[in-house]
Amino acid sequence: MGYTSTLRASVMGAALVAASVPASAETFRWASGTDPQTMDPHAVSSAPVLSFLNNIYEGLVRRDRDMSIEPSLATSWAPLDGENGWRFNLREGVTFQDGAAFTAEDVFFSYQRAASEASDVRSWFAPVSEVRVVDDFTIDFVTTAPNPLFPDSIANFMILDKGWAEANDAALPARDAENFATLNVNGTGAFTLGARDPGVRTTLVPHEGWWDTPEHNVTEGIFTPIGNAATGLAALLSGDIDFIQPIPLQDIAQVESREGFQVLEGIETRVIMFGFGHEHDRLLYSSDVTDANPFQDVRVRLAAAHAIDVDTMNRVIFRDKVDPASQLVPAGISGYSEANSARIPYDPDRARELLAEAGYPDGFSFGLKCTNDRYINDEAVCRAAASMFAAVGLNAELSTGPVRDYWPQLREDDFDMYLLGWSPGTFDMEHPIRFLKHSQDDERRLGSWNFGNFSNARVDELLPMIQQELDPAARQAMIDEVVAISQQEVAYIPLYVQPLIWAAKDNVDLTQRADNFFMLRWVTVN
Amino acid sequence: MWAFIKRSEPLWLFVHSPAAIIAAILALTIICGAAFAPWIALNNPYDLASFSLMDGLLPPVWQEGGRAPFWLGTDDQGRDMISSILYGARLSLMIGLAAMAIATVLGVGLGLAAGYIGGRFDAVVMRIADVQLALPAILTALLIDGIARGVLPTDVQQEFRVVVLTLAIALSLWVNFARTARASTFVEMNKDYVQAAMIQGQHPLRVMFIHILPNILGPLLVIMTVDLASAILLEATLSFLGIGLPADSPSLGTLIRIGMQFLLSGEWWILWVPSIFLVLLVVSINILGDFLRDVFNPRLR
Amino acid sequence: MAYFILKRLVQSVFVMLAVAFLAFSLFRFVGDPVSQMTGVETSIEDQERLREDLGLNDPFVVQFARFTGDLVRGDFGFSYRTRQPVAEMIADRIPATLELGVVALLISLIVGIPAGVYTALRPRGALTQTILLTTLVGVSIPTFVIGILLIFLFGVQLGWFPTFGRGGTVQIGGWESSLFTLDGWRAILLPAVTLGVYQLTLTMRLVRAEMMEVLRSDYIRFATARGVPYRSLYYRHALSNTMIPVITIIGLQFGGVIAFSIVTESVFQWPGMGLLFLESIRFVDIPVMGVYLVVIAFFFVLVNLIVDLLYVAIDPRLRIRDLA
Repeated sequence: MGYTSTLRASVMGAALVAASVPASAETFRWASGTDPQTMDPHAVSSAPVLSFLNNIYEGLVRRDRDMSIEPSLATSWAPLDGENGWRFNLREGVTFQDGAAFTAEDVFFSYQRAASEASDVRSWFAPVSEVRVVDDFTIDFVTTAPNPLFPDSIANFMILDKGWAEANDAALPARDAENFATLNVNGTGAFTLGARDPGVRTTLVPHEGWWDTPEHNVTEGIFTPIGNAATGLAALLSGDIDFIQPIPLQDIAQVESREGFQVLEGIETRVIMFGFGHEHDRLLYSSDVTDANPFQDVRVRLAAAHAIDVDTMNRVIFRDKVDPASQLVPAGISGYSEANSARIPYDPDRARELLAEAGYPDGFSFGLKCTNDRYINDEAVCRAAASMFAAVGLNAELSTGPVRDYWPQLREDDFDMYLLGWSPGTFDMEHPIRFLKHSQDDERRLGSWNFGNFSNARVDELLPMIQQELDPAARQAMIDEVVAISQQEVAYIPLYVQPLIWAAKDNVDLTQRADNFFMLRWVTVN
Repeated sequence: MWAFIKRSEPLWLFVHSPAAIIAAILALTIICGAAFAPWIALNNPYDLASFSLMDGLLPPVWQEGGRAPFWLGTDDQGRDMISSILYGARLSLMIGLAAMAIATVLGVGLGLAAGYIGGRFDAVVMRIADVQLALPAILTALLIDGIARGVLPTDVQQEFRVVVLTLAIALSLWVNFARTARASTFVEMNKDYVQAAMIQGQHPLRVMFIHILPNILGPLLVIMTVDLASAILLEATLSFLGIGLPADSPSLGTLIRIGMQFLLSGEWWILWVPSIFLVLLVVSINILGDFLRDVFNPRLR
Repeated sequence: MAYFILKRLVQSVFVMLAVAFLAFSLFRFVGDPVSQMTGVETSIEDQERLREDLGLNDPFVVQFARFTGDLVRGDFGFSYRTRQPVAEMIADRIPATLELGVVALLISLIVGIPAGVYTALRPRGALTQTILLTTLVGVSIPTFVIGILLIFLFGVQLGWFPTFGRGGTVQIGGWESSLFTLDGWRAILLPAVTLGVYQLTLTMRLVRAEMMEVLRSDYIRFATARGVPYRSLYYRHALSNTMIPVITIIGLQFGGVIAFSIVTESVFQWPGMGLLFLESIRFVDIPVMGVYLVVIAFFFVLVNLIVDLLYVAIDPRLRIRDLA
């Protein structure tokens, strides 16, 4: 080791002399697996885009290091008097990156843009019935029903300059062709775009007129997407980049064993789970039970839950880096049900008993669908689960594939059991209840990711009440009830909370936020 | 007597070529191991109940923590590496051999016919060959895979993955055979004995298969061995790009793809054991290919 | 001759059309672009509207006619993923891929030809056997494993070369080149070697075989008898005679090099067309995939055409056959 590193150091020295541009201390290079597809904050609602653009654009509110909501372009907000909705008092003296002043008109314009049919983030504004500009620095969002979480839900709603967008023909987000906002930006955030070469390299430079006090010392940020995990890690270890998100779990030891690097470990808010085809009348992929769907019997679902040994999965596949999950959000997220924090334990004997009680003493076969490029080690998890299921007689026919044709299959009900990961977009338990537990209701846009259509009248009844309840204790009691029902009914088998592993050079200080967003404004290069 | 000597000449050469002997022994061992995998292997990677996650990530026995009977360690699922490799080689060889066979029949048939008939037929076949060449193997695999998805009902797709992959590889290999067969046919056609046979009015099929084919067997055999090797590699590459086989029916390529995740993590055996094995297999096939080339082209000796 | 060229040109157009058709038909099965273009919270209704806007609900024939019609008119459409014009995206990436392919080919020639000559002249030497075995092992390791090994050896452990990307590039006209800076050359070396290993072996074996053949031919024997010095014999007479088939095969292989750069580009994050294509598959970016395939087909057709013309120029017998 000593020999190699000396050799490496001397060679690196030589290489530095040869390179044409010596790296300045404040140039910060980082990499991630996916390139943000667009620079338009309303065109695509995907994590890589929203994460990246949060460095350039800002919302009325923003999330702090611990995910809590804090003032950003709005200095304060309060529920409206006499009607449902919220009033936002805007910050004065804010300028966009091109020098234009920020006013309520820009917020109104951005609202119209983001809520338009061409926008991919319009679901955030589904509860909004009207937006009123009160004066230059006050704006009201009227909602159809009481909505205590509305300010939280628009933390990623980014404001762009009305004059700039209109002058450049970008009043609406680009849907099928590019427009000016696809490659150019004008936000109020801490950084602005230096250069953009999609898929290759994107640079950020500080916005000199930013209203907040910079905590960073970065003069230039250079982002490169690196799709291949091994290549990304090599880039970090060779010093070509300063930071990478994420790195594979199994490589943590390798990074830690080398001098000059650090690993940042946290947990994401994403819970990985198995879902059932609750409403399917029969199994699609079974070789022995073709005229019924045993999973409609809660005892069979419970047996499946008992068959999973999450601790062994954690130890072998995740090297003890994940937290087993009991419900669809991790502890610490608002609405997490402390009262129901116990997992259904690993108990293969009980699983076999339950199967026998349900009339399947010898088990049966069924199809298990999984992605192989969506979640960390998803394929390995499914292979392990299939082998655990097999141990109690549940013979899973595993089929794995890329995520690009996974959702359509699930939408077409083409599964017996499936793997799903869910990250609560609003960082509240209401989110998974709305998308995963409420019965499918296309009209009201509820249960849209509840592929197996788990349906429980009480849960359906509780959701609107949870959404409108202002008293935290009463709200939590209702959430606890929903969680208890889903555990009794085994609506899903929650497995674990996905870990979040970043790696950086030692001389870099940065903040890892639970939503996996990387904020350049919290970076200090020493 | 003369025939006997001629037939045994390759044998004589073989006995005097240590590289070929070693390669043949290696290849035979691997092929036998693969063929008898169900009887030799400790556990069956297809049978999820035959291994346990509890045995996961065990190193080879000579390293600390390794234990019998997992002589070369286990992977992240608790599968014995030796068993996985035997089953993997079985699948890889099956895909490789089947792809090669399909490519040979298709390519030689078309090539012979194109060379013999010539004219418009030749032009059409060669244009199809161009289209094929213009679609690299990776893209061909995607195409076949896509069509299979569209045509086959979803519940049988998984079982047809192997067939689909084999076809994809075969389709990307046949052009070599066709071009060689066609070129050799041109040359042979101008020779007196073929001209004579044609003038005698022998059936074209007879001319093709009795007179021309035996004369181009040599180069074809060489291409076959080389293509067997490249079919196995191609399968590995496709698996690396994620359009190969799923992880629950692991070929050597899939094993390597899975192993790539452990390149740096200290579990070196998950990558290197199947990789070294693949290289041994492919190298020995290639050496045999070289040997055959020398046999059929004495001037190169 | 003019007739022959014309005929081949017409045939080439058909090849391109066929590729376009195949390319297009496969995309219908790759996945659902809409679910890749939208976020998790997008309603099914909004997804359906987008699908309609993109024309994905039209019958296959209509979609294909639109695709080829637009192509013929030079309209390559817009990427679903980035919403940029596809023509621009591909054109931006062509230089990287071509430079990588050419450098890989150069490496394979610079190393392969001398190695081929040497192994032909000393068929029994220990070095020859070593070279033959090494290259055999070289082509028996999957490209992606070689790439990662090179990265870790020369990029991470030794730190001699950058681990990804193109390094310093220079803009020359519309061409972004990495061949004019030291940095760029350092960056291109590892991926080019990775890509060139297979070609190198092929070149070496080809040169070796041709060389051995020529060395046995009568005129070389006569020359030896006449007392022509060996050095001149090997390099002036023998080697030059082996070059025609070698160049031909190498030319034919160039298309394959370009296509196979997909793997290399993915391992080295080399910003070429192959990487773009892989990203497009991941996001079901149909317009980019389609145009990529057609562009690749164009390269193949072009190379094949040139090779065919070369054949005709060299071998009069083929000329007569094809014209007949």
